[in-house]
Amino acid sequence: MSDDERPQDEPESLRTDGAGVGGEASPGPAGAQESLTLLLRDLRNHEFAVIGAAALALVVFPYLLIDGLGALGSLIGFRIGGYEGLASLVLIYGIIVVGFNLLLGYTELLSFGHAAFFGAAAYTAGLLSSTAEISPPFTEASMTMPGIGSPLVMLTAGTLVAVLLAWPIGILSIRRSGVYFAVLTLTFGQMLYFFALGPGAGITNGDNGFADVNVEPLLGVFDLGAELPVVTTVEYLFVGVLFLLALTVANRIINSPYGLILKALGENEQRVAFVGLNVFRYKLMAFIISGAFAGLGGALFIMHEQYIHPTTALYWIQSGDFVIMTVLGGTGSLIAPVFGAFMFEYVSNVISGVTLPVIGRIGSLWRLILGAVFVIIIWNAPRGIYGGLVDLKRALLVGLRRLVWASQHPQKASEALRGWAALRGRRVLAIADRLPGRGGPGGER
Amino acid sequence: MGLLETRGLTKSFSGLTAVDAVDMTVEKGETKAIIGPNGAGKSTTINLITGLLDPTAGEIYYDPPTGVLEELASLTQTDESARTENQQSRLATIRETHSITGLEPHEVVQEGISKSFQTASIFPGMSARENVEMAAMAAAHGSFSLNFLKRRDAFPDIGATTEEMLRAVELEDDAATEAASLPYGDKRRLEIAIALASGPDLLFMDEPTAGMSPEETQSTVTLIERLQSELGLTIVLVEHDMEIIFNIADSIAVLNRGAVIADGSPEQVQNDTDVQKAYLGGVEL
Repeated sequence: MSDDERPQDEPESLRTDGAGVGGEASPGPAGAQESLTLLLRDLRNHEFAVIGAAALALVVFPYLLIDGLGALGSLIGFRIGGYEGLASLVLIYGIIVVGFNLLLGYTELLSFGHAAFFGAAAYTAGLLSSTAEISPPFTEASMTMPGIGSPLVMLTAGTLVAVLLAWPIGILSIRRSGVYFAVLTLTFGQMLYFFALGPGAGITNGDNGFADVNVEPLLGVFDLGAELPVVTTVEYLFVGVLFLLALTVANRIINSPYGLILKALGENEQRVAFVGLNVFRYKLMAFIISGAFAGLGGALFIMHEQYIHPTTALYWIQSGDFVIMTVLGGTGSLIAPVFGAFMFEYVSNVISGVTLPVIGRIGSLWRLILGAVFVIIIWNAPRGIYGGLVDLKRALLVGLRRLVWASQHPQKASEALRGWAALRGRRVLAIADRLPGRGGPGGER
Repeated sequence: MGLLETRGLTKSFSGLTAVDAVDMTVEKGETKAIIGPNGAGKSTTINLITGLLDPTAGEIYYDPPTGVLEELASLTQTDESARTENQQSRLATIRETHSITGLEPHEVVQEGISKSFQTASIFPGMSARENVEMAAMAAAHGSFSLNFLKRRDAFPDIGATTEEMLRAVELEDDAATEAASLPYGDKRRLEIAIALASGPDLLFMDEPTAGMSPEETQSTVTLIERLQSELGLTIVLVEHDMEIIFNIADSIAVLNRGAVIADGSPEQVQNDTDVQKAYLGGVEL
């Protein structure tokens, strides 16, 4: 018998897909479980449930990040706990990648130029709040910035500028697809970067970076830095609410006819045209929407950091970081990219501060660590961190159901186990048989 | 009455004339077959009509009002230099209002022309139902009027069309199946359902039975016949299987080297000596 052939007596219960466990043997629990699964699926389709769960996670998140990881760190002797600002930063990048995923994960358009929208929004919001003297390029004129530091106005202005920028860049880039699209977006982003460094330095303060950011209290009352019970700071609450808003909008888009069309565009563009839809306009719309998310994130970013430099705002590596975060977290589902944003920011801000025995402080080597993390995760879970977690949960559930089944049917379970062991044993023997000198090729039969 | 008319339709690719002054009429409600040896220009002709390619010369008219084509014929009889200014402007108006030449594919579909491709062109990662839903949505709500903050369940009319089309191609039991995992024949039927959900009057089918098993071929032929009789569709198909063509076609156009060498009922085409020489190699059918 060939060792690949499945013996007839292989027990049902040990099939890897987990089907057949429970089933007729235990109709009660299986039925209940099924209805529970249906209920969960139903809940997932309800906006309130999705957003409510996300809100709950946002409340817990700082505690896990700071206290949870901190405790774990003191247990193993490394300082791996997060800090308050990091929680906000993760959510800011979370907003950006949720929007970026609409483009990359659903429409399957790979943009390497989203730093342009992020950076333009950051500079816009920062300049608006500033009272600095600026001199527009190619003129002798100079003007004083208005010093409007209202967070809501800064956000609106930043997002608006990002949209107005994404529009023409989208129109010019979407005419090409694949690599050409990616390179076009990269080029436009780089043009903006060099503008900010060179001719635009009178506005952006060039290589010195822009630091004259004066954020006023939210609604004139709540200072963003103020501490709050339960949700750490006003800033975290503010960013958290905007994150939930962004998530709601993205969830709506995914479940709207648009969402279906965006997904369809990723799968078969020609067919989308041949059901009578204007491919160009839908791709452009996806591009602009994701640009708006990046703009919102950029405006929040400068409020958070109070400083921006062309390299952190507009350089193509920043665009690449959005891509890495999205792929690392997982494309094609609403919340997945946020896990990538977390992992990215965690490695860059916390792991970089860890001191190792031989190497010393990791410091700027954090990109090396991130690279290794990326490779390991994508090898083991091609669908990203989120996809990996989903698979892990499924595997654990299957294992649990088998254990429950085994405890209810000890007799059958031990038979099944014995059958499985015998099968494995036969396979091991078959492999051993093939070894040279043991009846394998060149050996005696 | 002519539903689709091409006048002098020509396409050249850097010196090679793939389609050469094709005049073709598709009557409302008929099943027309386009046949011809490989490289005869069958697919190019369809691509010109459906907007994938822009013609080098010639015009395509779709569903013009009665009399327009006759007027056009009398106008174009005279040489361009001999026409009066009035005639010239009337000609321009007709071309402006009734010609679909040079439209983008999605605009052609909006006019009421659908197409199924030579290889099943579907959305592999979506369920069969979502595949059809896409087309139903586009047909019911136009190209850009969809509210992107409204949930899909808020469009009940789409659901009804979707179910109807899935039933029409007998895929209602596989509605939840991912399209990629359907057997090949079912994929092609799904594509037909997508094409139907766009609400066409005219359906182009590029080799609808290519690569199918005999059983799948038979059921596709039955499906095409049903589409024509029950939905009153006009169907134009490119096909290599002569048995199928002579079974279901009301008229046949034969292309050779980009030109129409015969156009008429199956009997006429079968007895045409040019066709026998050029295409059928003189073999008795």
